[in-house]
Amino acid sequence: MKLRNTYFILLITIAGLLGIAPLHAAPSSAGTPKAKTSIEIDMVGVEDVSVPEEFQVSLYENLLQQMNKRSDFDVVYRDGDRNAQSKDNLLLMHSTITGFRKGSERDRQVTTVKGATKIMVHCQFTDKQGRVLLQRDIEGKVLFFGNNLKATEDFAKKAARAADDALSVYQANPEHRGGA
Amino acid sequence: MKPRTALPILILLMSATLMQAGEPTSTTYSTEAVQIIGFGDIRDNTKGTLELKDGSLHFTSSKESFTVRANNIQDVVTGNDTQRAIQGPVGTISQFGPYGSGRVLSLFRSNIDTFTIEYRDSDGALHGAIFTMPAGKADPLKEELLSQGAHASIPTSQISTQTSSQRGVQEAQ
Repeated sequence: MKLRNTYFILLITIAGLLGIAPLHAAPSSAGTPKAKTSIEIDMVGVEDVSVPEEFQVSLYENLLQQMNKRSDFDVVYRDGDRNAQSKDNLLLMHSTITGFRKGSERDRQVTTVKGATKIMVHCQFTDKQGRVLLQRDIEGKVLFFGNNLKATEDFAKKAARAADDALSVYQANPEHRGGA
Repeated sequence: MKPRTALPILILLMSATLMQAGEPTSTTYSTEAVQIIGFGDIRDNTKGTLELKDGSLHFTSSKESFTVRANNIQDVVTGNDTQRAIQGPVGTISQFGPYGSGRVLSLFRSNIDTFTIEYRDSDGALHGAIFTMPAGKADPLKEELLSQGAHASIPTSQISTQTSSQRGVQEAQ
């Protein structure tokens, strides 16, 4: 009876070790911990298109909101923030509006097919030394529900995903992380 | 007996007058507004009161408030837009009204002014904020704000001519 109990305890211990061991092994196989990286968002610029001021401000503020909400950055800094200057691992995001079509909320609600607002923004992510990590043209649009500024929120969500891609490029390249 | 009672009353009256004079409550402009985005930590699309007093721009809602000094504001731009006459949850539900009634209700719209500012905080970080308010309220607020030390890339006179021409174009459309 005693021997049976001993075998039983031994079996449970072995099974437990086999089950737990991979869980402990998982973090060590993930490699070195990623250095905390921050991003500074520049005020959105305009290139050869007429864009109302509220769209520019809305793009900038939505970008900051979405970056804080969705992206993997340690800190998201605003344009001109003095605290960003001391950071070594810092990415910079420059955005320029290259296309804009102001639709009509009334037309969208009445016809459902007309009156879309579309905004095209060229986004560039660089490291602190100015080396380009990623460039992408991102479109923000509102097709059915919501006011015209909703297009800026759509853009910001897509831009936050692009920022994560830029972060991956930055972290994959030791040349960028070295800061040399 | 009479001079004895008159003296405390006189002192009380004088101190009350002096206290009133010492209070810096000089509200120069006040209007109902909706904070769309960006003014401090106030939640998006919050209704409240936007007022200019003691050289600062205050926004106060039932739950939150935020203040920016006028001389920290580096740009003020006004514009105009329209919004659906029926707002809020009732407005959203009414969009799905039967036999196209929701679409007909969408034709009823009210004019609004947009008021956009850019300001810097104590760390030098740039913020942008957008407000909407009843038509005709944004330009006087801009003028008052500029007189109290705010800066603007477009002067008020240009804005008023632009606004009228824009309205003309909108009406033509």
